[in-house]
Amino acid sequence: MMRKIIIIEDDEVIREELQSFLERYGYEVKAPLDMDNIINYIESENAELILLDINLPMYDGYYICREIRKTSEVPIIIVTSRDSEVDELMSMNLGADDFITKPYNTEILLARITNILKRTYGNIKTSSILSYRDFNLNLSNATIIYKDNSLELTKNEVKILSFLINNKGNIVKRDSLMEYLWKADFFVDDSTLNVNINRLRKKFEEIGIENPIETRRGMGYIMP
Amino acid sequence: MTISEFLKDKAIVILCNSLMFIILSIIMFVINVNLIIVVFVFCIWFFPLCSYIALEYIKHKKYFGEIDSLLEKLDKKYLIPEMLKEAESVQGEKFNSLLKELSRDMYEHVKYYKDLQEDYREYLEAWIHEIKTPIASSKLIIENNQNEVTNKIDFQIDKIERFVEQVLYYSRSNNAYKDYIIKQISLGDIVKNIVKRNYRDFIHKKIRININDIEENVYSDGKWAEFIINQIIVNSIKYSSNRDPQINISSMKKVNSVMLFIEDNGVGIIEKDIDRVFEKGFTGENGRRFSKSTGMGLYLCEKLCLKLGLKISIDSEVNKGTKVTLIFPLSGMETFGDD
Repeated sequence: MMRKIIIIEDDEVIREELQSFLERYGYEVKAPLDMDNIINYIESENAELILLDINLPMYDGYYICREIRKTSEVPIIIVTSRDSEVDELMSMNLGADDFITKPYNTEILLARITNILKRTYGNIKTSSILSYRDFNLNLSNATIIYKDNSLELTKNEVKILSFLINNKGNIVKRDSLMEYLWKADFFVDDSTLNVNINRLRKKFEEIGIENPIETRRGMGYIMP
Repeated sequence: MTISEFLKDKAIVILCNSLMFIILSIIMFVINVNLIIVVFVFCIWFFPLCSYIALEYIKHKKYFGEIDSLLEKLDKKYLIPEMLKEAESVQGEKFNSLLKELSRDMYEHVKYYKDLQEDYREYLEAWIHEIKTPIASSKLIIENNQNEVTNKIDFQIDKIERFVEQVLYYSRSNNAYKDYIIKQISLGDIVKNIVKRNYRDFIHKKIRININDIEENVYSDGKWAEFIINQIIVNSIKYSSNRDPQINISSMKKVNSVMLFIEDNGVGIIEKDIDRVFEKGFTGENGRRFSKSTGMGLYLCEKLCLKLGLKISIDSEVNKGTKVTLIFPLSGMETFGDD
């Protein structure tokens, strides 16, 4: 089931780019142009989440937020370029669920959206198992499963392996792997990355899987 | 005003009268007037004169004494005209109205510039919020079209974002209003966020970061604290050394405060510059030798720290590294959250 999000934003570029960005991550996105009947529109669309800009032409976001709250408890994330704690407090007092400042880090935006959706509607059953050839990586308990054996990985090893599996068939540059890891709170340097990759390979060996991570000299890693 | 000063002021009157009396006495002696009469004339002449001068002195003393004591008591000395009591003398009244007129005029003059600056600040802040929209849309466009070129542009846009942020905080640092909120924040989360924000620099310059368990919570404004710590870390990155660069971030809890240390093994700051790093626009030796710098980063840090009640200090040794210490006071406030 796809979650439906309404984007209320008057800037055309942001509206469109945000729409295609969120659609890429599997959401159904409505981005109305007409701000005159926005309250009715929101009521009729029955979305599961609303991304609301504050500076709007007809009514400001605070007004819309208050109006929505009169009839509905739908989660609202306020998106604004005003970024002081005072603005944040004001948004929260009006019943918004979260507050994100422009320019937003898209990863943070996504994380907040998933969090709020999870909090409000519970977990959607998404597969937390990545499979590659004949073994599986279970993300929820950080284990590799091969035949009848399973082996625990560390949090950071899971991050590395899942990124490589998600890019299977492509060479993953060392730098982009590192950038991904840094964004995922694993502040890794060159030698630590090597150590982690080697440890992963050892674990594969332990469980009986032939090393799936190939090194391409001067380029990066690949899981073919 | 002392008595001798006052007498000096009245010297001509006294002198003239004395001279006139001396001449008169000589004349009286010549025409053989009785000494008693001369003394009598002296009394009639000088008694009113002396009492007039004495009274005048008392009034004077009272008037200026009051102004002096007001001056001493007042914090804002320019408020004197508002505090003046009605003067007893015509002269004093004249002075009072003059002072009032002057201060009114000065007040308007100052107000004009105050308004001008306020207008400018408002415009600047509105402008900053406006420019964030195109920055945000550029970042979204990049996100939706990822490749090597857009990745490079993204890096530059992050820099633009940082400069814009600096202007915003500069404007806020001069603001008389309190536009921050003190609440409990997690230092560890803030530090992590900042490291993430600068991930490209860390990876490209191969800087190792060690964040030693920072578990303390402090009371401060999250956004401001993040700005301050980010300025410090950006400096550490900018002036990192070429050999095995490292940045260590750690914290320590004291009875009344939490200390945050940001240490690097970079180029350091020479001794004659170290006392001036918090000055506005000071770039020093490193500013000349390395990249262009505006000399605003640390200046703003200190200014914002002052507003938030934090302490910042810096130690450095050339070619060894720099250590910045931030001290967050722990408020005496009880928190009733979950323990």
